[in-house]
Amino acid sequence: MSPKKQNEEDPHVSDSDTDSTYEDSSAADDDDGDSFGSPSESESEPAAGDDSEPDEHGESDSSGLHQEESDSSEDEVAPRNTVGDVPLHWYDDEPHIGYDIKGKKIKKKDKLDKLGSFLANVDDSKNWRKVYDEYNDEEVELTKDEVKLVRRLLKNRAPHADFNPYPDYVDWFKWDGAKHPLSNAPEPKRRFIPSKWEAKKVVQYVRAIRKGLITFDKPKEEDGPYLLWEDDSGLTEKSNHLAYIPAPKQRLPGNEESYNPPLEYIPTQEEINSYQLMYEEDRPKFIPKRFTSMRSIPAYENAMKECFERCLDLYLCPRVRKKRLNIDPESLKPKLPSRKELKPYPTACYIEYKGHEDAVTSISVEPSGQWIASGSSDGTVRIWEVETGRCLRRWDVGEAVNCVAWNPLPDVHILAVSLGQDVLILNTHLGDDEEQKKIKELLSVDTSTPSDDSGNSATSVRWLQDDKHGGIKLKFFKTVTAVEWHRKVLIHHLSKKLTQKLPFKLHGLAVRSTFHPSRSIFFICTKQSVRVYDLLKRKLIKKLDTGLREASSIAVHPGGDNLIVGSKEGKLCWFDMDLSSKPYKTLKCHPKDINNVVYHRSYPLFASCSDDCNAYVFHGMVYSDLNQNPLIVPLEILRGHTSSDGRGILDCKFHPRQPWLFTAGADKLIKLYCH
Amino acid sequence: MVKAVKHYRPPGKKKEGNAAKFVTRSQALKQLQINLPLFRKLCILKGVTPREPKKKFKGTHQTYYHVKDVAFLHHEPLLEIHREIRVHERKIKKAEAKKNLERAKRLREKTPKPKIDRIIRQRYPRFVDALGELDDCLSMVHLFAALPAAESKKIDIECVHKCRRLAHEWQAFISRTHKLRKAFVSVKGIYYQAEVEGQKITWLTPHSLQQVVSDDVDVITMLNFLQLYEPLLGFVNFRLYHSINLKYPPILDPRLEALAADLYALSRYANANVNAIPSVVNSEASQVAESEQGDAKPKRDDIEHEKSELRLAQLQHQLPTNEPGALMQLVEEAASEEEEDQDTRECKNLFKDLKFFLSREVPRESLLFVIPAFGGIVSWEGEGAPFQESDQSITHQVCFSYYLLGLGDLLYLMMSTHLAIGFNFKIVDRDAQGHKFLSREYVQPQWVFDSVNARIILPTVDYMVGRIPPPHLSPFIDYEEEGAYIPDYAKTIKQLQAAARKEVLPLPGVGKEDLEDPQNILVEGIMDRAEANQAAQRKQKMMMLEQQYHNDLKKELQGVTNGKMDSNVDKQLSTGEIQTREESTANAQQKDDADDMGTLMMSRKKRKLLEAMKMSNERKQAKNDLIKQRKKKIDEAHKKS
Repeated sequence: MSPKKQNEEDPHVSDSDTDSTYEDSSAADDDDGDSFGSPSESESEPAAGDDSEPDEHGESDSSGLHQEESDSSEDEVAPRNTVGDVPLHWYDDEPHIGYDIKGKKIKKKDKLDKLGSFLANVDDSKNWRKVYDEYNDEEVELTKDEVKLVRRLLKNRAPHADFNPYPDYVDWFKWDGAKHPLSNAPEPKRRFIPSKWEAKKVVQYVRAIRKGLITFDKPKEEDGPYLLWEDDSGLTEKSNHLAYIPAPKQRLPGNEESYNPPLEYIPTQEEINSYQLMYEEDRPKFIPKRFTSMRSIPAYENAMKECFERCLDLYLCPRVRKKRLNIDPESLKPKLPSRKELKPYPTACYIEYKGHEDAVTSISVEPSGQWIASGSSDGTVRIWEVETGRCLRRWDVGEAVNCVAWNPLPDVHILAVSLGQDVLILNTHLGDDEEQKKIKELLSVDTSTPSDDSGNSATSVRWLQDDKHGGIKLKFFKTVTAVEWHRKVLIHHLSKKLTQKLPFKLHGLAVRSTFHPSRSIFFICTKQSVRVYDLLKRKLIKKLDTGLREASSIAVHPGGDNLIVGSKEGKLCWFDMDLSSKPYKTLKCHPKDINNVVYHRSYPLFASCSDDCNAYVFHGMVYSDLNQNPLIVPLEILRGHTSSDGRGILDCKFHPRQPWLFTAGADKLIKLYCH
Repeated sequence: MVKAVKHYRPPGKKKEGNAAKFVTRSQALKQLQINLPLFRKLCILKGVTPREPKKKFKGTHQTYYHVKDVAFLHHEPLLEIHREIRVHERKIKKAEAKKNLERAKRLREKTPKPKIDRIIRQRYPRFVDALGELDDCLSMVHLFAALPAAESKKIDIECVHKCRRLAHEWQAFISRTHKLRKAFVSVKGIYYQAEVEGQKITWLTPHSLQQVVSDDVDVITMLNFLQLYEPLLGFVNFRLYHSINLKYPPILDPRLEALAADLYALSRYANANVNAIPSVVNSEASQVAESEQGDAKPKRDDIEHEKSELRLAQLQHQLPTNEPGALMQLVEEAASEEEEDQDTRECKNLFKDLKFFLSREVPRESLLFVIPAFGGIVSWEGEGAPFQESDQSITHQVCFSYYLLGLGDLLYLMMSTHLAIGFNFKIVDRDAQGHKFLSREYVQPQWVFDSVNARIILPTVDYMVGRIPPPHLSPFIDYEEEGAYIPDYAKTIKQLQAAARKEVLPLPGVGKEDLEDPQNILVEGIMDRAEANQAAQRKQKMMMLEQQYHNDLKKELQGVTNGKMDSNVDKQLSTGEIQTREESTANAQQKDDADDMGTLMMSRKKRKLLEAMKMSNERKQAKNDLIKQRKKKIDEAHKKS
């Protein structure tokens, strides 16, 4: 390849790119150019500065290249040196590098020292083009075309710009005008009909397009937010569905949750230890901690969990509107009339009646209010003077007394005592001679005459003269727990010495009974209900439903329309008989059994006594106006008795005229509470 | 009364009562023909909650839903969409099994998406309703914004980024309109309370640290909630931005930003910060994005993550510069100021004319939100900051105690014993920032929060760098409530507030009554002079104690007293005293009894209520007592030392 030929390269092949980068990468090319020691014509003059470093490692390359070049360009210019392909280091020690064509030694050129060669290089602007030819020991300056050629080689292109790697294909076979075809096979049918599979595919696509499965470059719609609530001032109502209850907001954090709470909010180590002893559900969920700076706060480990729990609350908890009362608890209490206005009522203990040797089970006040009788379980009955506390009389009945009762007539001073299966009727020897005479007449029993209704009742009760105590003894077959007197009607007709048996069937065990204060009506209290009988008509008038588990006592208001029932569960029921058969009011006042309830005969007072050693005094006003409900006001808690054997106050009675209350306790005492 | 006759109902006929009104959950599932997870999801989206029937006819362990609620779900288009989604999923599965990946891909793209907007409108007919129930939404979105995206937990990165963007948009609005009212740094995170359209909205932002997704949390349920909350917050943000004439979503063009020159970007930054919206920058990642903006390199779009960060960063440019012109801006501001209420104005002017500089280690995100919300100007250490630390106009620099940072326990001990406060500054000097400016105050970040809650600029002495700051108190506690325990620092703050309002409040030691008393005395004294003259003629029919009191006053006021009257009074007084003493002993018992009497007459329901109230009051009291006791102990220990 002659340099002339290279000069005539096509302008269109050389890229503009290579031209532009030509200047920039000159330095790099310099090195490359050195390493590719390209063969050159002999006309290039020998140059000094032969032992530059790239020459050494580029030695084999250059020699190889040289060899190749020399082979290909044998016809052109022969190399000066004729040693052939021998290692050049054989000549290292020689003064010559080889022999020329005439057999003369070719002398080595004297080398420039480093400084000299450097200076020469610096001065020479074309230095980067110079390549040292070791074989001929001369410096070759590459022409511009040669540099281009090298560059093309570096880019893995054909070395010559006019070489076309992709020439047009020229068919070797001439088709037109040929007599015979290459293949004699008949043309297949499929060449003439449309493709079945293509048609299927087309149908598939068509269908997909029709169905909207395939849409053509429709941009994806990103449904971002828009103005959802434009003008909702008119909307006042919520949605028309069920009542919507918004979720309650989370509790706002207090001081203890601060990262730097006041010191007093941080529990001591002992307190933290004590949390471990608590039940899991009682244990505080959050223990305050203190950090001295904000950057020392760690990540809260329960953040995710708490958020999740809130989520659960939001969608799993039924929402119920609950009224949270933010009121003073005192305001819940009903407004009661001032107790001062409701005076007088018993407030303090004035007299104690001592003498009994066992629990006093029953007391009774004489209608005049001068005497009280008491029965005790030590088997004695005593009569006391109210005002002084002196024991007037004493009977030894020999058996625990269940109940004592005075005759309500003021001039008939007789006392009924129930003990065991007997009822004793005692003459108390009070009053003047005339009265005594009357009483004695009354109490004499004609033993010969048999009882009136001899059929059934005679067998149940026997009337006997009791000589020992000067009274009458009634023998029952069963234990008598209580006796009651009535002014007009006596079940035990004392005057006739007869006993009238109740003509009714009792449901359940009778607990207490009482008489209507003015009419011949009899109340019998069983465990669960109170029955009201008319004694004259001999039929049941009413049945009152107490709703109690076990009633223990009953008392009738002097007016006769109201009654109270005390129960063993400590409840007190007030019945208004005109109102309904259900209690008008139920008061839960005692924690233990109520032993007795009682009305005052003239004052609007009633009282209850219980095993918890307390007696309650209430104001119970009944109005004559039927539209006005009775007014019940608790007035006073009377304390003072002590408990013995689990029993407290066994009986209580009001003084008939004064607002005084007598209580009989299991602690052998009788107390009088005055206003 | 005749009882309502219960008719015989043949089986399969209409029910009545609770059985007709409510169905159990499994019945509802059967009726709707869906599975439990889908039912739960629908309940979450529609806001259907179980009900509590009066009579639980299928037992107490069942969950009951109202028949109408179930019918409500039955007619819900969402149900149909979810059925379609299920069908699609089946198809996708089939296509994948047949290796028809193209079809699977196409089907996946075609999967219908449930639309939430209608449900949001249904659940919250008015905007106020939505705001009222935004608490949970905000807390959740803020939490998810801080979560690590985890494939295994089904939290994908897109969701986290969306949450973060929404949260920042919300914060930007609150900050710009100065709606923030309270901020409280707790162990659980930072609580913020804002007031938007009269609704108090409280939300919790977790501390900007890596959150751990524990295994005992059902993420799917939370994601269901998020599916509702994300669009909800989007709509709310839209409406809020709309109300202040800003475009939503903020158009953030990264290319435009990339082409913009440094100077332009900086001026915008400055503009943004004057208008106080730099709430978006949060972490190193965003810093990277910012630094890239500064250099304007065209490399940015390689990582999706960075891109989104960039979008966030550009929010701050968007907001203030959206106004068409300066004139418009003026008009708008004038208009908006008229609308603002007293509270907002107060908040806006709290940090007015104060310039803050945040050091490297403070929680930047929250402070960048809080300070502009209260009218302050803020910058931070790092690239893209509006002004540098060397700016002489900075009034406050928020940083932490350096001794805790760099030096060991020895120094800590020295500091805690207050050996040398000055030494502390030396340490500051030795630190990288190198220079301590005299014109500014160095405070700890708690100062910002405390000032915000107290609505006054607190003295910075206690919050100086190197000191342990005073306790951080919750702004959500109402100390006015009776019997509440008031920490000392709350009292101090109250005084400072009063001082700021130029009022005189009594010192904490002196009771309120003592101070009020002189006025009372004076007033009563004037009245009594006339009264006492009359009383002398009427020979004193007044109550004894009262009389003595008045007499004392008279002595003071008139100087001259009637000797005879005096002795008379004394005599009566003595008898009175005896009486009162007797009465008082009786009264004590009577009072006890009176309490009992009151409860006696109450109905059982009320009595139980009273007992419950008493119990809860006692519990509260016990809690307070415990705190007081601890306080006492601490004080004693303090005195001894």
